[in-house]
Amino acid sequence: MPFDECKAVLTDIGVEELGHLEMVGTIVHQLTRNLTQEQIETAGFDAYFVDHTAGVYPTAASGDPWTAATIQVTGDTIADLTEDLAAEQKARLTYDNILRFCRDDPDVTDVIRFLREREVVHFQRFGEVLELAKEKMNHKNVYLCNPSFDRK
Amino acid sequence: MTRKSSETSRCTDCNGTMPSCAPLAVPYVPFQQENAPIYKDCDALSQGTLFPCLNLPFHLAVNGTPVPMTPLAQLQALDFVLQELALYLDTHQDDEDAFALFQEYSAMMERSRAAYERQNGPLDLAAAAADSSWQWTHSPWPWDLKGED
Repeated sequence: MPFDECKAVLTDIGVEELGHLEMVGTIVHQLTRNLTQEQIETAGFDAYFVDHTAGVYPTAASGDPWTAATIQVTGDTIADLTEDLAAEQKARLTYDNILRFCRDDPDVTDVIRFLREREVVHFQRFGEVLELAKEKMNHKNVYLCNPSFDRK
Repeated sequence: MTRKSSETSRCTDCNGTMPSCAPLAVPYVPFQQENAPIYKDCDALSQGTLFPCLNLPFHLAVNGTPVPMTPLAQLQALDFVLQELALYLDTHQDDEDAFALFQEYSAMMERSRAAYERQNGPLDLAAAAADSSWQWTHSPWPWDLKGED
């Protein structure tokens, strides 16, 4: 990223998101640490349990393990910031869908609501920084060059 | 600041500023206005944002039950406000009022942190180094129930 504000926002949000990974991991750990064999079978946790016991392993809800293939870096200022905006929306809707299912455990829902709200704030900041980046680019055609690559 | 246009001064805090002649074919998110109202630190932590104008909960539910204000949670609340203000300042380089607020919370954080560490022990490696011995490996860790996990 070629501009100072972009570097600042990406660094601050990146650090915060890694903290979110720890918070979600903590929720999973606290929900699974004292499961009985019967609970594992009846709650649909058996497939995960066979592979990982009660260890915390980063997978999507549908079972795919986390992989770098799920994220993108294009090296283009506008494309990358637009990707970041989309990523915040994808995180937000994942939390929405968790909240549809999980309504009765405030130890979970309070944290999920908190994390969801952070995605809304991050979307706002990525949008502002995209605006700041555009201000530093060619006003008539922001696609005239890629300031992340086309240095003078 | 150029973004303080006369049209947006009539908008509520929940609306932001946009370029007057916006070029086509690029995404736009309006800028958050300066001097938006803020939550108290403990409410900010339970809502997930310092700014009521950005608080957009799912299904219109009120965000979060109030966080019980233990001494550690009070520190977390102050730390959260600092983090939120730092992120806001990244994109609002000219907002001197917000920077003054950031300085105010930073001083509060420093005082509360020193008071907490006098009562409960060090919070980071630098504070631990000032002690005569170290015990950061001792349970419980933050995610443990009773240090038995």
